[in-house]
Amino acid sequence: MTINLSGLGIDYGAILPELIVVGTAIVVLFLDLVVPADRRGWLAGVTVVGLLAALAASFPLWGQDRAAFGDTVIADSLAAFFNVLLIAITILTALISPRFLRALDLDYGEYYILLLGATAGMMLLAAATSLMTIFLGIELLSVCLYVLSGFARTALRSQEAALKYLLLGGFATGFLLYGMALIYGATGSTTLRAIAAATTTAAASNVLLLVGIALLSVGLAFKVSAAPFHMWTPDVYEGAPTVVTTFMSVATKAAAFAAIGRIFIATFPSISSRWYFPLALIAIFSLFIGNLVAITQDNIKRMLAYSGIAHAGYILLGILPGTTQGFTATLFYIAAYAVMNFGAFAVVTAIGAGGEQTADLSYWRGLFYRRPFLATVMTIFMLSLAGIPPTVGFFAKLFVFQSLVTAQIWAPLVVAVIMTIVSFYYYLRVIVVMLAQPDGAVAENRVGFSTSTVLGAVAVATVFLGLFPSVVLDWASHAASLHF
Amino acid sequence: MSWYTLPTNVPWLSLVLVVPLVGALLVVLTPSVAGRVIKQLGILTAVITLALVLAIIGGFQQGVGGLHLQFEEVLRWIPSLGISYHLGIDGLSLFLLGLNALLFLIAIIVTDSATPRLKEFILLLLILEAATAGILLALDLILFYVFWEAMLVPLYFLIGVWGEGRRIYAAFKFLIYTVIGSFAMLIAILAVAGINFSQTGQLSFDWTVLVQHPAAGVWHLPGSLGSVGIPQLLFVGFALAFAIKMPIWPLHTWLPPAYTASPVPVVIVFAGLVSKLGAYGFIRFNLSLFPDAAHSLGGPLAVLATIGILYGAVMALAQTDLKRLVAYASMSHLGFIGLGIFAGNLLGIEGALVQMINHGVIIAALFLVVGMIERRAGTRLRGELRGLGATAPLFAALFLVVSLAALGLPGLNGFVGEFLIMLGAWSSFLPLAVGAGIGVVLAAWYVLRFYQGSTQDAPPHPASFPELRILDVGVLAPLLALMVVIGISPGFFPAAVDATVKALPVILR
Repeated sequence: MTINLSGLGIDYGAILPELIVVGTAIVVLFLDLVVPADRRGWLAGVTVVGLLAALAASFPLWGQDRAAFGDTVIADSLAAFFNVLLIAITILTALISPRFLRALDLDYGEYYILLLGATAGMMLLAAATSLMTIFLGIELLSVCLYVLSGFARTALRSQEAALKYLLLGGFATGFLLYGMALIYGATGSTTLRAIAAATTTAAASNVLLLVGIALLSVGLAFKVSAAPFHMWTPDVYEGAPTVVTTFMSVATKAAAFAAIGRIFIATFPSISSRWYFPLALIAIFSLFIGNLVAITQDNIKRMLAYSGIAHAGYILLGILPGTTQGFTATLFYIAAYAVMNFGAFAVVTAIGAGGEQTADLSYWRGLFYRRPFLATVMTIFMLSLAGIPPTVGFFAKLFVFQSLVTAQIWAPLVVAVIMTIVSFYYYLRVIVVMLAQPDGAVAENRVGFSTSTVLGAVAVATVFLGLFPSVVLDWASHAASLHF
Repeated sequence: MSWYTLPTNVPWLSLVLVVPLVGALLVVLTPSVAGRVIKQLGILTAVITLALVLAIIGGFQQGVGGLHLQFEEVLRWIPSLGISYHLGIDGLSLFLLGLNALLFLIAIIVTDSATPRLKEFILLLLILEAATAGILLALDLILFYVFWEAMLVPLYFLIGVWGEGRRIYAAFKFLIYTVIGSFAMLIAILAVAGINFSQTGQLSFDWTVLVQHPAAGVWHLPGSLGSVGIPQLLFVGFALAFAIKMPIWPLHTWLPPAYTASPVPVVIVFAGLVSKLGAYGFIRFNLSLFPDAAHSLGGPLAVLATIGILYGAVMALAQTDLKRLVAYASMSHLGFIGLGIFAGNLLGIEGALVQMINHGVIIAALFLVVGMIERRAGTRLRGELRGLGATAPLFAALFLVVSLAALGLPGLNGFVGEFLIMLGAWSSFLPLAVGAGIGVVLAAWYVLRFYQGSTQDAPPHPASFPELRILDVGVLAPLLALMVVIGISPGFFPAAVDATVKALPVILR
């Protein structure tokens, strides 16, 4: 409850991983000037090395409770959990990038700088404990992603995606910022700790506060692409270069959910009866729209975009009970989603390295006979996204459902179960299409070594965590025990 | 049984799961051009598994252990949620495990070496064998659910890729039905554990723990809609999954297309084994976890089972396609098993367990016969077949034994189970026993018409139906032997089953 007034609480150790990532971005920026154009793969190597250093710096944060910079960021287990997750995603993205970028003639150093910038923003968002740092994190990651979405400078779809994302994202940021202003007005503080303290008193019934929370929720729901704030998702996912979609579909969602957890679970538990209903409604909306519209999609990137909306709904369900158990399930789900959805998009990336028209489902006909490896790992990811054991996706759903049963939240649970059954249709459809007899020979491109290694590792992780979920569950459980 | 004692430091049951998976791995590593090697690998794996299972059956000691469970293995899996890797075997699962190993061996042997993508076919069969064995062995509800769902994926592919006719439609319909039931069961599983947690303070998904504290309580519906007993609600959750799998009328509509579309090796394990897993689930979970609800809901379910007997029999009479005929016959026979279970007395449940084995043996043999007819005659339409016995007397003889077993002739195995079930039903629900009796009469009708119509009468000219080969006799032989052995010494099975059923907290009528 005490705000560190002696100095500003400057503690660079608490944000060391973020600093390393930003530092790596600066190094890459300068290296880009001296590395010859045909050696830009080196930049990916430097990026990975920097990220590995940041990963190493994240582990000491585990188990700490280290508020810094005037209570605006915190180095705790939750931050460490997300640091590891986000850095891992970024490393894998960097590993599959060079081949894809070269194939599309997009091999520029700025790509890695923007990737690192977005990662730093996401990590900051996961560690943020003040409205200002939350905003800072969101903006940092968003601006980088706007540019990355439009990175295919000559492709019209990519430009359209970037513009759409920028305009709608700016609009959502407006909501977010206005909400923050109202919350500040109601509670007199921007740090979550002070806001939490204020809401336990008379301010709890303050209309300003409630409207503020509502607007803040809109901004965050936009970032996790929860319905009805999801309109941008299919277009941006489809138009952006696939490797960028791969990254942002999992990383952005993860980081934004870290903030949602800190805000709803840790800051506003005392008024959970107020936010429960709107949040439940958003979750149910996401489940309905994501799963039902995904059925009609013939483009695999759009299908995965709607599936991502649906999964945002499942993840939100874990927030609803407002319990540590529920938040544990949420964290596990985020990690599981990161693994399986990254895998699914990475397969699209590997196929797309030959050209960008390959996301159409008709191209995937008979993939089992043409490219058995890619088809097999894709099958694993589809089964996992559908939640069929023994894959990690099953336990993700199981833990969320269990937290709802324990909290006796029935209506959203019933919707989630029914929608899960619906989701089988479109996930299994991909498998059926891949199993169908191919129409004829289609020009092939080989999968590079690093891409196939990444795909293999992610597929193994999907199954391994589906057999032994306990380790990650324990981590999630430890990270979920937030307290202010 | 218990002819010898197996060493206790070997995880026998895990081996039953691991051996097919190791075989599957070896199949993966074999290049797909080596079709013969792949099939031989599959047969070898299935033989080893069968040998293991036979060793376990031989070493099974009757009436030992708390719930008469043996070869138990408990490993920590997800300790924070009370989920464990708990395997065990008792009188309920012992012989079904044997049936599982036998039918998969037969299925792999009868797989045509010319099957396209043989490698994936054998691979999926081996994975399916591990999953179905896991269903029989799992004693943790979540572990059970994992196997239950894992079974779905290989089956879906086996029908959807290698099936015939409207295979994708059939596979999809089967999948959707099953998944709906599965999720109802999943929610019930979570609720059972949650209720047990609130009653005892111990979070556990272990069947041996849950079975000691049957769920109780009443759920008051919102408004003034009355109230529902929570055990009844949970019972229905489990029952939905198992009733769809069996299937119990009116949840059977996925069955005819799925059985008809399945290739012969798949339909042998599908009809012979997978349908029994639903019946097994009823006894293992519904009867023992919710004894009160099983008592109060047993009556309506027994009525549905009897309707299934008659409906299946009448539909079997109406079929011209032999595969569909056997599919409906299978459904009719499963109605008997359901009736035995829901009769809720010792005779009925014993009869159901015996009949599960019998049905597996008989239906597998019938589908094999249909497969042989189709491969030789090029058709399986009843009207186009006649006089097969003239050129293939051995075939006709073996077919006759199978037919007589299927219609329940005393001295063969079908009679034993049906008789026990009828006795059980007689003392619980007299009118239903009469209905089931009519089903037996109808069975004689459609089976004999099938047999006589196809084998007797003068053969068409030129008679071209070839006699059985050694291999065909070889795959039918163990099934025929079982029919005779069970038929002559029926006391063999109930002894092991009896002790287990008595140890369960089942309310007997």
